[in-house]
Parts: sequence; structure tokens; C-alpha cells
Amino acid sequence: MESNKFLDAKGFACPMPVVRTKKAMEDLNSGEILEVHATDKGSKSDLTAWAKSGGHTVVQDAEEDGVFKFWIKKA
Amino acid sequence: MANTKVAIIAANGSLFDAYKVFNVATAAAASDAEVGIFFTFEGLNLIHKEAHKNLPLPEGKEHFEEGFKQANVPSIEELVGIAQELNIKIIACQMTMDVMNLEKEAFIDGIEVGGAASFIEYAKDANITLSF
Repeated sequence: MESNKFLDAKGFACPMPVVRTKKAMEDLNSGEILEVHATDKGSKSDLTAWAKSGGHTVVQDAEEDGVFKFWIKKA
Repeated sequence: MANTKVAIIAANGSLFDAYKVFNVATAAAASDAEVGIFFTFEGLNLIHKEAHKNLPLPEGKEHFEEGFKQANVPSIEELVGIAQELNIKIIACQMTMDVMNLEKEAFIDGIEVGGAASFIEYAKDANITLSF
């Protein structure tokens, strides 16, 4: 899936995937998509919750070889 | 989470306590909540300029040190920096500082010093209140 920015958060433990996603999202405009890759097992629920709390939309997510991938559309 | 206010009391000073406080606080601030933490008694270690860089594991839990390394958790120093960057309000307890004979200069930059009433005033309209 196409994205406007990519964040590699692999190897980071809670709460860093969320903190880094917040920072990365600041560079995007409304409607643009951030792609995030993380290996923290908690990130699946955390990034979903984070997106919800900010009104952003997880348009797609996937898990491949222990990497959790998210495409988040900025509100 | 904008328009959500989180009020936290940090009253203990081990490495475990530091992670409990700063993980929840930075996650909340990263979700656009307004976050304030009142550091009191041993909790002051968490924002002491030197002490926060080398907090002890709780007695009998020293074997978790390896687990912290393996899980690649951020250091407390790093989390404190993120807390400051995310504008988390940090209130150090004046009374504890007086008892322990500590000055404001002994702590990380950007803190406020206040008493219990300062925290209560901040927390009175909080949506989430936590104590660690």
C-alpha cells in the first residue's frame, strides 16, 4: 500500500513505538498515510488504540515474520 | 485524547516504579492528553538529576536486569527526556524536599515545586488519576 512516510520502529519496546509514531505523524498533513513497522508485540493493540485516541484511521494492518505493519491515515 | 487530563502521583523510587510512571505518562502525552505528575517521597528519585540515571531494582528482583536489556526498553533518562519534550508537567513535593534537605537545583530542568494543594488543584478536573 502507498504511504507518504515510513517509520521503522522495529526493536523498540513500549512506549517507544507510540511515541515515535506521534512524532512521525507531526510531519504529515491531514489525509496522508504513515506506514509503521514494529516488532513490539504490544504494538498491535497499542498503535490501534493510539490511532483511535487521535481520531486517525488504521486503513490497513498486517503481520509478516514477527513484524507488525500499520498504515495510518492522519485525521 | 485531546481534552483528556491525566494526573499521576509518583511516590516510589525503584526502577520498576519509574517505568510504571513514565511509560503511562509518555503514552498518554503521545496520545495528546494533558499530563501532570506529582513526585513525592521516594518518587523524587525519579526526577533527581543523578539518581534517575541509576535507579535500583527492587530488592530480590535484581535478576530482571537482563530482561530489561533483552526487551530493549528505553532508559529512564530517555523517558524523562521524552516527558519533558511532550510538555508533561512535573511537580516536585516541597515538603519532601524540605525533609530530605533537597533544593530545586538537584532536580532535572523544567520542574515546578509545590505542595499537596498544587497537585489537588491540577487534578481536580482530571479524567484519569493514577498513583504509583
